[in-house]
Amino acid sequence: MPSPPPDWVKALKPSGPQGSELLHQERAQSNVDVERLSELLHTKETLERRASLLALLQPEKVFDKSQNHSLGRVERLQRSLAKAKRLQQLAEEHKWSMQELHAANDLIGEPTPYGLHASMFLVTLREQGTPEQHKLFLERAEKYEIIGCYAQTELGHGSNVRGLETTATWNSNDKTFTINSPTLTASKWWIGSLGRTANHAVVMAQLFIDGKNYGPHPFVVQVRDLETHQPLDNVYVGDIGPKFGYNTMDNGFLLFNNVKIPHVNMLARFCQVDKETNQYAKPAMPSLVFGTMTWVRANIVLDAGGVLARGVTIATRYCAVRRQFQDRDADPHAGETQVLNYKMVQVRLLPLLASMYALHFTGRGMMRLYEENQSRMKAASSPDQESRGAGPEQLRAGANLLADLHATSCGLKALASTTAGEGLEICRRACGGHGYSSYSGIGPAYADYLPTLTWEGDNYMLTQQVARYLLKSARAVLAGKPARNDTSQILQAYLDRRDKGASFDVLDEDKDIVAAFGWRTAHLTFEALKHRDAEQRSWNSLLVDFWRLSTAHSQYLMVKNFYEAVSSPELSGALDPETKGLMHQLFRLFSLHTLEREAAEFFSSGAVTVRQITLTRTTAVLKLLDDIRPHAVRLVDAWAIPDWQLDSSLGRYDGKVYEDLFRRASEENPVNELVFDPYPWNSALLKNEPAKSKL
Amino acid sequence: MPDFTDNLRPSQPDGPTTLARERQKSNIATEELGQHLLGSDGFLVRQARILPIIQQEPLFSKDQQQNLSRPERFKLGVARAKLLRQMKDTHKWSHLEYQMAEYLVDDVSPYFLHMEMFITTIREQASEEQQAHWLPLIELWKIIGAYAQTELGHGSNVRGLELEARWDNRTKEFVLHSPTLTASKWWNGSLGRLANHAIVVAQLLLPDPSSPDQYVSHGPHPFIVQVRDMKTHQPLNGIVVGDIGPKYGYITMDNAYMLFDQFRIPHSAMLSRYSKVDLNTGIYTKPEKPALVYGSLTYVRSNMVHRARLVLARAVTVAVRYSSVRRQFQDRDGDKTGPEMSVLDYPTVQIRILPLLATTFALHYTGLAMQTVYKNARQDIEEGNFNSLAHMHSMSSGLKSLCTIFAADGIETCRRAMGGHGFGGGSGLIQVNNDYLSKPTVEGDNWMITQQVAAYVIKKMTAAVGSPDTPGIDETDARFKEFIRNKRRPESEKRTYDILNSDLDIVKSFELRATAMASSTKLIRVIKKRNWNSLLIQLHKLSRAQSESIIVATFFDALSNDKTLSAPTKNVLWDCYRLFALYSMENESFEFLRTNAVSQTDLDSLASRVQDLMARIRPHAVTLVDSWMIPDYLLDSALGRYDGRVYEDLFNRAHRLNPLNRITFNPNYWEDEIVKGSGDNGRGILSKL
Repeated sequence: MPSPPPDWVKALKPSGPQGSELLHQERAQSNVDVERLSELLHTKETLERRASLLALLQPEKVFDKSQNHSLGRVERLQRSLAKAKRLQQLAEEHKWSMQELHAANDLIGEPTPYGLHASMFLVTLREQGTPEQHKLFLERAEKYEIIGCYAQTELGHGSNVRGLETTATWNSNDKTFTINSPTLTASKWWIGSLGRTANHAVVMAQLFIDGKNYGPHPFVVQVRDLETHQPLDNVYVGDIGPKFGYNTMDNGFLLFNNVKIPHVNMLARFCQVDKETNQYAKPAMPSLVFGTMTWVRANIVLDAGGVLARGVTIATRYCAVRRQFQDRDADPHAGETQVLNYKMVQVRLLPLLASMYALHFTGRGMMRLYEENQSRMKAASSPDQESRGAGPEQLRAGANLLADLHATSCGLKALASTTAGEGLEICRRACGGHGYSSYSGIGPAYADYLPTLTWEGDNYMLTQQVARYLLKSARAVLAGKPARNDTSQILQAYLDRRDKGASFDVLDEDKDIVAAFGWRTAHLTFEALKHRDAEQRSWNSLLVDFWRLSTAHSQYLMVKNFYEAVSSPELSGALDPETKGLMHQLFRLFSLHTLEREAAEFFSSGAVTVRQITLTRTTAVLKLLDDIRPHAVRLVDAWAIPDWQLDSSLGRYDGKVYEDLFRRASEENPVNELVFDPYPWNSALLKNEPAKSKL
Repeated sequence: MPDFTDNLRPSQPDGPTTLARERQKSNIATEELGQHLLGSDGFLVRQARILPIIQQEPLFSKDQQQNLSRPERFKLGVARAKLLRQMKDTHKWSHLEYQMAEYLVDDVSPYFLHMEMFITTIREQASEEQQAHWLPLIELWKIIGAYAQTELGHGSNVRGLELEARWDNRTKEFVLHSPTLTASKWWNGSLGRLANHAIVVAQLLLPDPSSPDQYVSHGPHPFIVQVRDMKTHQPLNGIVVGDIGPKYGYITMDNAYMLFDQFRIPHSAMLSRYSKVDLNTGIYTKPEKPALVYGSLTYVRSNMVHRARLVLARAVTVAVRYSSVRRQFQDRDGDKTGPEMSVLDYPTVQIRILPLLATTFALHYTGLAMQTVYKNARQDIEEGNFNSLAHMHSMSSGLKSLCTIFAADGIETCRRAMGGHGFGGGSGLIQVNNDYLSKPTVEGDNWMITQQVAAYVIKKMTAAVGSPDTPGIDETDARFKEFIRNKRRPESEKRTYDILNSDLDIVKSFELRATAMASSTKLIRVIKKRNWNSLLIQLHKLSRAQSESIIVATFFDALSNDKTLSAPTKNVLWDCYRLFALYSMENESFEFLRTNAVSQTDLDSLASRVQDLMARIRPHAVTLVDSWMIPDYLLDSALGRYDGRVYEDLFNRAHRLNPLNRITFNPNYWEDEIVKGSGDNGRGILSKL
C-alpha cells in the first residue's frame, strides 16, 4: 500500500461545522426513541446476536473489506471463498444456527461461493427429498461433505421452466436416468456456486419416460470428482465470466453428454417414477413444487427493505453532513445549507425512507402468511405418512392460502425489488459526485442487488400471474360468489359503490387512503376484465395493462400492510406516542407520494378528484416532508446497520465523511503505488517498476 | 482443447435465422438512414477507415478487460491511450480521426483532461503572452495537464471553494494553501497519476488597499501550476496528490485529490485574459463580462446533449437485437406447437425498448439543434452581442439534465429488459453503464441545474406579463405573450389540441403545458412570494416540461423540413416522433390534463395509441437500430452482435475467454487451501492484506 501522507496533511481538519457536530445536532433535534424502534423492527434478540457476531468477525484479517473494489475478478473470487470457508469454520466452532450464519453473511456484505449450497441446495433437498434421499444427500450436504447448487435456468431459458431443454430419460432396462444437453442453449447458465465450487447440483430436467415428456423435474447429479475436484467424464462445467455485480459468486454453466445417474437421484417426495412398473406417479399438487420459490420471494420482499435502508442510511447521513450553496432567500452571511434541507433532495430521499419502512412491514406480513401456510400443511400431514410422501387429501387444506400467497408474493416481489433497486440508485445520485465513488458504499451494493430484479422470474413476467389471479377473482365476484378474502372484498366494494362514486377523503383519513388504493385496483381489474372477456382482446395485447394492474395491486397491498402495522396494538405498545405519530406520517408520505406519482390512474378511476391530487402535490406531501425532515437521521439510525456492514465513507454513524474518504484514497488505494511515465512516446509505462509491464 | 461441446448448436430457430427474417420484413433503407444520421461530417467514412486499424492491435482487444483489477485496468488504459496518441502521429490522423479511434476503443482516456479542459482553459482564459508560452508545450505534449476545480467538500458551488491563492506583494508570488481537509482538490481527472501540470482554481486573496494587513477574497480564479517533477514524476515539495480510488465506472481515469502546503507560484501563473493582479501594486482588475467564464461549461454541456444519442443507440441496438433472438413462452392465445415467442413481440418488452428507440432519434435532432444554437451564440459573443447567452445557458442546462437522464436510465432499462443475460459481462452494457452513470451528477448535478432553467423561464414570463401586447422579441417571448392574451379570451373560443390526429398539435400541446406551468410558477414565486426552496420540486418539473417541449418541437421541425429521406423511412420516423411524444405525454399525463393541454378523452386513449404505434414500429426495430451503424467491436456484446450468434458468443466467452476456469478450487471448508494443489493454506490470498 502507498506510504501514509505527511504530517501537515494528517493535521488537516474538514472546514466547520464538522460532520460529527452536524449529526449530533440532527440527533438532538428529534426525540425518536431509536432503541425501542430498533427493537420493534428487528427484535432485541436479533440486535444482540448481530452485535456479538460483529465483534467476532470484524477483527479477522480474512474479512477485511478495504481492497474489495480494487481487486481483479479471479483474486476477488478466491478471497471470497476464503471468507466463506472461515465463516463455515466459525459456524462449526460456535454452533451457529442458520439465522446466525445468514446474519454473519449479511455483515460480510457480499455473496460467497457457498451461497447457493447453503440456501437453495439444502432447501431443495430438504423439501423435495424423501427420507431415504435425506440420508443419502442431505445429511452429507449439511456437513459440507458434498457441496451443491441449484441448476434450473439455461443459456436459452430463464423464467419459463417448461421451456427447459436439458433432458432426463428413464432407462427401464437398468433403472437409471440419462441426463443430456441436446443443444448449446440447453446449457445450464447463471447457476450460483457451480462455476468453480460445487461438486453436486440439483438439475432441473425434462423427464422422459418411454418417449413421453412429463415436464421439468429435479435430479441430484454429481458434477465434479470429490478428490481432484475436476469435472466428471462427459460433464462440462465452468464459471460464466465477469458480471455487472455479484463478482464474488461463481455463477456457472453446465452441460451433460449422456450422463447416467441412479433411480434414487430423482428427488421423489412429490413425484416419482416407479422402479418396478416404470410408471410416473403424479404430483399431488403441482403448485407445491413452487413452494420453495414462494419462500424465496417472501425473503426477497423482507430483504428489500433492508437493502433500501442501507442506501437511505448512507444518503441521509451524508446529505445532513454535506452542505452546498446558500438558500436563495436566506441571510447571505449564513453558511452553506445542509443539502438535506433542499426540497428536491427531500422529495427523493424521504419517500424512500418511508418506503423502507413500508417494505419491512409488508415483508413481515408476508412471512406471517407463509408460516401460517407451512403450519397448516404440517397439521394436515401426520408424521406416519411421511415415509411415502404427503398425499393429496392432506395438503389441500393449505392450498387456498398457498394460491393467495403465490399470487400476491410474485407481484410484491416485483414491486419490492424494483423499489429497492431503483431506490439505491436514487440514493447514489442524491449523494452527488461522491456517490460515484466506490467508497460511497452504494454503487457496489446496487450492482450486487440488481439481479434480484430479474431472477426468480423477471419482474415484468411475474406480473401476469397477479393479473390472472385478479381476473379470476373478478369473474367469481360477478358470478355472485361470496367475497371471502380481501381481494374479493375490494372488488365487491367497488361494484357496490360504482354508481354512487367513491369520495374518499385521502387528505384527512388514513383508512380512506387504503380504500382509495383498493378502489383503483378494483377499477383496473374490471377494466382489464372487460378488455379480455367482453372485447375478446388477446392476452398478449393486454400485457401492459396487466403489468399496470399488478403494480397497482401490489401498491395497494403495501399501503394496506403498512396501515395495519402502524395501527396495530403491537406497535402502539412498543413505541412512545410521538414516534408512533411519526410512523403514521411515514405511512402517509409513502401512500400520498405514490398516489401523486400515479395520479392519472387515481383520477381516471374516480378514486380522487383533480383538486385532491393538486393539493396532495402542492401541500400535503410538502408538509409531510417538513414534518419528517427533523427526524430523518434518527429514523435511519433505528435500522441499526453497523458501519462495518455499510462499508461507506459517506454513511458513517459519526459523520466523519471527509476524513474517511481521504484516508481510503490515500492509504488503501493500490493505484497510488504506481508511478507512471506520462509521455506517449516513452514506451515504459511505469517509472517504479523495472520489469516490463504484464500487459 | 476439443470436447463434446464443440458440436452443440443452439436450438432452432437460431439467432442468424431470426435476424435475417427481421431484416427481410422491413423496407427501411438502413444505408440511407445511416447516412442521414451520421453521414454529414464524414463520421461513417471515418468509422469504416479507422475500425480495421484499431482491431489489428492486440492492445485494443477487449477480451480480458473486465477481469482486471483496478491497478491493472488503469495501466491498460494508460498503455492504450499512449498507443492511440502514437498512432495519431504514425497514421497522420486528424483530430476527428483520433476521436473516432478513441470512440471505438471506448476507454475513458486518462489524457482526457489534458486534451480538453486543460488546453481549452488556456485558450479561453490565458492572456496572449501566457498562451504563447503554454500552448506549444501542451500541443506538443511536452507537459501533461489537468483541470483542478472541485474539492472534497465543494462541487457545483464554485464560490464555496476553499483553496487559497494569497498574493505576497513582497516576493511577487501567490501562495497556494489548503487550509482544511475539505479544501483538498477532489475528482480532478488525469491528475491522480498522470499529469505534471494543472489548472488550479483557488480563491484569490489580495491585500485590502485600505488596510494592507487584511486580505480580501475576490472569488475563485484559475492558476497554472506544475505539480510533479518532470524527471522523477514525483509530486513537488508542498504538494500531496494521488488517485481517489475505485469508482462506479471511469476505471481508466485517475481522478485525483490534491493538497497544497504554502506552495509558492509566480505572478505569471494566474491566467489573466480577463482578471488581472497588478504585479507592482497587487491591485485587482475585474473582467467586463463575468458570464464569459461559464462559456466552457456550456460547451461541455451542449456536447453531452449531442453525445447522448450514440450512447443510447448503443444500448437500444443490443436490446433490440437480443430481444428478437431471445424466445420465451408461447403466446397464450396462439398455436402451442410452434417455437417460443420472440420476446420483442411482448408489449411489456416493447414498452421498455421501443420508446427508447424513438428517443435515440429525438436526441439526435435535439443534439444537432443544440450544436447550432451553441455555434450561433458563440459567434454573437465574439461579435460582442451577449443577448443569446442566457437562452443558450438555460437551454443547455435543461437539455443536459434531461438528455443525460434519458440516456443513463435508458441504458439501464435496456439492460434490465434483457433479463438475466443483461447482467452478464456479455451484455456489453456494463462498462458503458458504469461510465455513463457519472453524467447525471457531473458538470452540474441534473437536479441542481434545473433551477437555472426555471429562473430563466420565470424571468422571461415576468417580462412577458409586463407587456403582453407588444410583439415577441424571440420565440419564447412570443409564445408566452400569446398565452397571456389567450387567457383573456372567453372559454368558448379556446380550442383543445387534437393530439391523436395532428402532429403539429402535439407540439402545441407540449408548448402549452410548459407555458402554463411557467405562468403558474411565476405567479407563485413573483406574486405570492413563495420561498425558493419550497418551490424546488415544482421548478424541476417546470424545467423538464420546457426541455421536453424543445425536444418535441425540434423533432417535428426536423422531419417536416427534411427533403432527403425516402417515404417508407420517413413514415417510420414520423411514428417514432409520435411514439416519443405520446409516451412522454402519458408519463406526465396529469400535468397535461391540469393545464388543459390535452382533453380527458384523448388522454384515455393514449395507452392504446402508444401500443398501436409500437406495433407499427416493431417490424422495423432491427433495421432502425442497424441504421445507427454501430460496429460489433464497439458494442463488445454477445447479445447485440449484428449476426445474432448470441449463444455461441456467450458460451465462447465463458468457456474460452474466462481466466477463472483455469484454476481449480479446493471447496472443503476445513482446509484453508484455496487453489487446489497450491498447498499454501490460503496464505497467497491473505498475503496482500
